[in-house]
Formats: sequence, structure tokens, C-alpha cells
Amino acid sequence: MSLLTVLALAAITYGSRLGAMVLLPKPSPRIETVLARVPAAIFASLATLSLISPERQVADVPVLVATLAAVIAAPRRSFALCLAAGIAGYLLSVVVGL
Amino acid sequence: MPEAPPSVGRTLATALPAALAIAVFGVIFGASATAVIGPGLTLVMSLVVFSGATQFATLALVVAGAAAPALLATAAILNVRHLVMGAVLRPILGSSRLRRGLLAWFMLDETFGFTIVAADGRTAGPDREAVAERTLFVSGMLCYLAWVSGTLLGIAGAGVRGVEGVAAALFPVLFVGLAALTARTTSLAVRAAAAAGLTAVVCFAAPDWRALAPAVAGLLVALPGDPRPRPHPSDAA
Repeated sequence: MSLLTVLALAAITYGSRLGAMVLLPKPSPRIETVLARVPAAIFASLATLSLISPERQVADVPVLVATLAAVIAAPRRSFALCLAAGIAGYLLSVVVGL
Repeated sequence: MPEAPPSVGRTLATALPAALAIAVFGVIFGASATAVIGPGLTLVMSLVVFSGATQFATLALVVAGAAAPALLATAAILNVRHLVMGAVLRPILGSSRLRRGLLAWFMLDETFGFTIVAADGRTAGPDREAVAERTLFVSGMLCYLAWVSGTLLGIAGAGVRGVEGVAAALFPVLFVGLAALTARTTSLAVRAAAAAGLTAVVCFAAPDWRALAPAVAGLLVALPGDPRPRPHPSDAA
């Protein structure tokens, strides 16, 4: 991989961040209402993606237990609590040999 | 009475757990990329790309022998979700194109979530815009420093032996935490669950399209329902 390729990767990544934030006009209230429903769905989708490999393999049991623990903590709506629950779930799973 | 805007310290405290996780990912990236592309390009990549998903995916492709066009195409597909996320952030940021352009640098999955939450419940206007812009900048700067510092530690030989497993678990856990933060109503939680289900279907039925799943599923589950804005609680007073 060359420096030029790295710079092209940077341009693509920054361009994707820049595109909608700078070029789009301020959306109408109706579109804004629909867009406000997107973030949680994107994060749930990303969580699912990280549990299934491109080869269609599901993650190891400790990772699944960590995710389940974070999901159980989710109704409290605390990011730090979800992280702590996830790590605790992972460690518990490893300790009991799952 | 409207909630007081979050201070810089509170924003930093909120973003700190994510920044620590990003630093761990940075160490892993720095250590593994140095062996493949050398320390110089590894550092430059973290400095100018600043995207864990893009950098890890690119590295895997380089190891597999892929050429530059494949790397660039993969990056483009992976980053489609940024267009959707940018469109979500657009209404809550200020009118200055230059400022939005500079802030775009700091838009990661994590900082996007923190910004949405900081602006949540505030009446549209200059105050909400200031809170959103400050949150994006402060949390973005912290995450950038964490990513570059982690990469440097990885290049310098730091290892994460013993915590690789936890690091693997951190990816889904981080995203569940961000989903929890942003799913402030039952309706949003149901839509998030639907997006997770759609993504799982895509992963098994059409794995070649999986990178597009977050953007497509996110938009698809957002469409059903009344698009009329709900009145803000303060409007009723």
C-alpha cells in the first residue's frame, strides 16, 4: 500500500463525513422527524454486524454473553453502564468456561 | 425549565469510556498494521483517515493481497453510513458551512451518538446548535487523541495480550451502549431491534452487501409512522 492510497482513503472517508453535513440544506421538520429515528437503528445494526463475520460465523460465546449483558443494561440508557455490564458479562463467561 | 447545557468536563466524562475503548483498538491497529505496512504508513493512516472500521478493513484486504481499487471501493461502501449520519446531524448544527466542514472531521459512530444525545430534548435554535457543535468537537478531539495515541503505542510495541478477547467484545458492546443512549422511546427501541434483525438477515442471506446494512436498515426502519414533528414540551407552556 502506498502513501497515495492512504491519502485517497482519507479523502473518501472525510468526503463521506463532509458530504451530507456541508452540502445538504437544512431539512424540513418532517424529514428531520424521520431522520431522528435513524441513530439507534444504525447502532443496533452495527452491533449486529460486529457479531457476524463476513464468513457468516457468529461470534464466540463470551462475546455474545457480553453483548447480551449490555442489552440487559440498555434500558437504563447509560453508556458507561452498558460498557461495564458488557465487560463483566465477558469476564464472567470466561471464568465459568463458556 | 430547559436543562443546562452539558459542560466540557461532562462531555469529556461521557466520552471517556468510548475514548478508552478506541485507544485499545488503536493499540491493536498500530501493532498489527506495523507488521504489514510499516510504522510510517501506519501512523499516517491513523492521522489522516481516523476511522477504525476503514483502517481495519483495509488492513485485512492488504493482507489478503488486494489492490488499491479494491481498498478504495471497500472504503467507499463502508463509509456510506456517514452520509446518513451527516444528514441526521445537519439539522442540529449551525448554519456556518466552514464550521460544519471542520466538525465533519470528528464525526465517528461514537461522537455522532454523543452529539445526538446532547441535543436531544432541546428546542431548535442557536442554543441547541451550540451544544451539538461543542459536543461533537470535544468528544471528537478526545477520540482522535485516543486513536492516534493508541496507534503510537501499538507501533512502539505495546501489546494487548490478555485483553484481545475483551477488545473483540467491546465492538458490539460499544454499539449497544450507543443504541441505548439514542433509543429514548419505546418506538425507537423497537425500530432499533428491527434494524438489528434486518442486518442479521443481510449478513446471512447476502454477506457481500453487509457493509451497506447500517445505512439501509437505519433508513428503512425510520420511514414507517407519522412524519409530523411532535411539539416540544416547552411549547405547551
